[in-house]
Amino acid sequence: MSEGGGDGAEGGGEDRADPNGIADGSSDRETAGASGDPGEGPVPGPSGDAAPPMDRARRALDRLASASATERFLLSFAALVLSIAVGTVLVLAAGRATTCETAAFVLTHPTPFGLPRLFSMGFCFDPVAVFDRLFFGALGDPFKRGWGPLSPFRGGPLNPFREGYELLNPQMAVTLRETTILVFSGLAVAVAFRAGIFNIGTQGQLVLGALGTGLSVLWAAPFVPAGMAGTVVLVTLGLLVGAVVGGLYGAIPGALKAYAEANEVITTIMLNFVATGVAFFLVANYFRNPDSQAVETTPVPDYANVPPLLFEPRDDFSFIALGLGAALVVGVYYLLEQTSFGYDVRTSGLQPDAAEYGGVNAERTVVYSMALSGALGGIGGAIYVLMILGKFQTGVPAYGFDGITVSILAGNNPLGVGFAAFLFGTLKSGSTVVQFATDVPPQLVGVLRGLIILFVAMPEFFRMLARGIGPTADPERRAVAADGSGAVDTGGETDE
Amino acid sequence: MSESTRSALDRARDGLIERLDGLSGRQTAGLAAGAVVLVAFVAAGLARPASLAGELLDIATSESAFGAALRLSVPIALAALGGIFAEKSGVINIGLEGLLIIAAFGAVWGTDITGSILLGFALGVIASTLLAGLFAVVCIEFRADQIIAGLAVWLIALGLAPFASQVVYGGPNTDSVGTVPTLPEVLWFLPTAEQIPTSFGVPVVGGLVGFVLDVLLEASLSVYLMLLMVVASWYLLNRTAFGRWVRASGENPSALDTAGVNVSRVRYAAVLLSGVFAGMGGAALSLGLGQFTGNGPTMVNGKGFIAIVAYLFGNYNPVGAFLSTFLFAGLDALQLTLQTRGTGIPDSLVRIVPFVTVIVVLALVGRTRIPEAAGEHYESGEE
Repeated sequence: MSEGGGDGAEGGGEDRADPNGIADGSSDRETAGASGDPGEGPVPGPSGDAAPPMDRARRALDRLASASATERFLLSFAALVLSIAVGTVLVLAAGRATTCETAAFVLTHPTPFGLPRLFSMGFCFDPVAVFDRLFFGALGDPFKRGWGPLSPFRGGPLNPFREGYELLNPQMAVTLRETTILVFSGLAVAVAFRAGIFNIGTQGQLVLGALGTGLSVLWAAPFVPAGMAGTVVLVTLGLLVGAVVGGLYGAIPGALKAYAEANEVITTIMLNFVATGVAFFLVANYFRNPDSQAVETTPVPDYANVPPLLFEPRDDFSFIALGLGAALVVGVYYLLEQTSFGYDVRTSGLQPDAAEYGGVNAERTVVYSMALSGALGGIGGAIYVLMILGKFQTGVPAYGFDGITVSILAGNNPLGVGFAAFLFGTLKSGSTVVQFATDVPPQLVGVLRGLIILFVAMPEFFRMLARGIGPTADPERRAVAADGSGAVDTGGETDE
Repeated sequence: MSESTRSALDRARDGLIERLDGLSGRQTAGLAAGAVVLVAFVAAGLARPASLAGELLDIATSESAFGAALRLSVPIALAALGGIFAEKSGVINIGLEGLLIIAAFGAVWGTDITGSILLGFALGVIASTLLAGLFAVVCIEFRADQIIAGLAVWLIALGLAPFASQVVYGGPNTDSVGTVPTLPEVLWFLPTAEQIPTSFGVPVVGGLVGFVLDVLLEASLSVYLMLLMVVASWYLLNRTAFGRWVRASGENPSALDTAGVNVSRVRYAAVLLSGVFAGMGGAALSLGLGQFTGNGPTMVNGKGFIAIVAYLFGNYNPVGAFLSTFLFAGLDALQLTLQTRGTGIPDSLVRIVPFVTVIVVLALVGRTRIPEAAGEHYESGEE
């Protein structure tokens, strides 16, 4: 962290607050006020008439922003590594708890010079195999058996890829399919987060968006000719309806928060249950496919599905959908960073009072950002129906909750959401491979998800780790270390 | 009427007037609307017993619905008590749901391996307390964002309990074990509900006594534990030094620090206590059925989040939290009875009534005054 980082942390308090954003916002407001047009909308981005000191401050803040982005990345990476470490312990413990014929993994020590074997313990699950399946299995086994980064130096083959490996394999399709939905739900959570709203209701918004998409496409299909034109019309209609339904459902907790001061964490959780119940009621009573045992609608016609590109139709994945996700990642990033609406959203998220004094209509911003968040979730639901399922079925997977994980791991940055979504897409796709190959329950991924969030929430832990001092170190040693590392850690940062 | 009784009544009336003055216009309107709806409903039910309102009234006043409401209250009320201590001390514990889940599994597993319901119950409480301890360390020692850390606690438990169940029992649902007994099952000299007369030959009052006795004799020991804990935690929070520290730690931690009390230690104790209470709730939930079911949102199914609403609605008062819990649980009991009776109302819709109620209540009550320093990390100035 740079010198300014310490100050920012002091002033901003918690890690959620991006010090750059606060300072950036308030300085913009000051310049706007000084130039004599307080009634005007916010002026985002570099303003030409800013005084030279402002420029210098801005440059310093830019540096800080990139520093905090690096730190953010390191934090996410460290959280992932630590989660895998804890997951390994969990897999070993589970391996002790089950019974098997032969141990898949034996923990022991080397016995050089004929030393006796003092310690040996067998486990039913091999953690290396589990994580190998989890990550490489999800990509369709790209590497040759036994290939490692050092193989070429030991006379091994230079080309790491296994013979006959195709990048566009079915398991890769599963990974990318999960990634696509998670991009949408992750973006949805991230937008709300940036506005200072904790939207746990993405799941419900996604479910109702999916339902709206399924029903509207089923309703419109008879009026639309089959073929390419029909595909364009129906997919566009489905996406629009999904976005509108999700957006309206997201606006409810937004309005409740803005005008009735109801805590959005509680209302969105409750609305998730309501959405699931309503969807079940509607499908079970009015739109049920009579030929099916499951509570689901009749399938939409084939030409209403998002057309697969490069992949087979049975792989249920389309690069068009992923491309839409990528476009939205860039679009949301632009919206948040470069437009006046995005500026309002960010300032309300960081400093609600300052935003209000600066002329931001706080209530409207809350409702709009929740509607946008819900719309993104609704599009995720639409893609789920039109790309993966081809119908609406009750019991939608927990994409909304995974979206929270994706967003938190990405530091609520839209660009980071893409990477985080791919990571979790891999984990979700890999969990089925793991279960098939090793009998380890797929719920392992659920535990990893929780652990990653837990570790991302505690950057202080990793800072302490990086300083090489445990939390219980005596104050004198810590003071020395703090002095040694410059002005970064003032006395206020250490505890007790 | 003696002098002291009179003055006590005066105080009570003054307190009530003060309470009513403190309500905002929206809250008053909400309360009035609620009262009008309730009165209209009861009147309609009494006037036309054959109508839907009459049937609902009949169900709502039945022994089985009342007993079910008490039974369903147990996990929510106990988790809410835990939430009160944590939040009063300044740590918002949104992970109550996770604590319930882990305790529910731990209790069934413990009962299965030890063969004793009491030991299993204890194991559930221990599991929940350990997880709460992890949450406390993360929030207090490592200054994590309390909301995100609480969410992580929920997600970890949501993954861990079905994972463990899959490893031990080969599926997300565990085997069946024994359930928490009722009072007559433990104390052989007590009569069962069938053995006592329904009205003791006295009209109205006798019927009421019979009703209460029937409900109490058929209730499991968990219900008694819950009622005991409501009273105990009220006493602990309002009448002891520890309770004072907890409240000060949430309202004005630096004052507590100045007074020479370690704020971190108070918060640790409060969060661990929330783990103990939620643990009792989770253990009572799964041992009430004798099984842990871990599909989807597991058998806990949002009870931890309803507990948060219950204590917010009860304004951090253990008794108030219990009463609002009883309201939500009563709605749940109503829908369970409706399902079995088959009144033509689709149960998938009735099932969401408690959740909608929570939203409406929150919208009407609006912002409850949370403790001043809740959600914030406290940094002692001393080095």
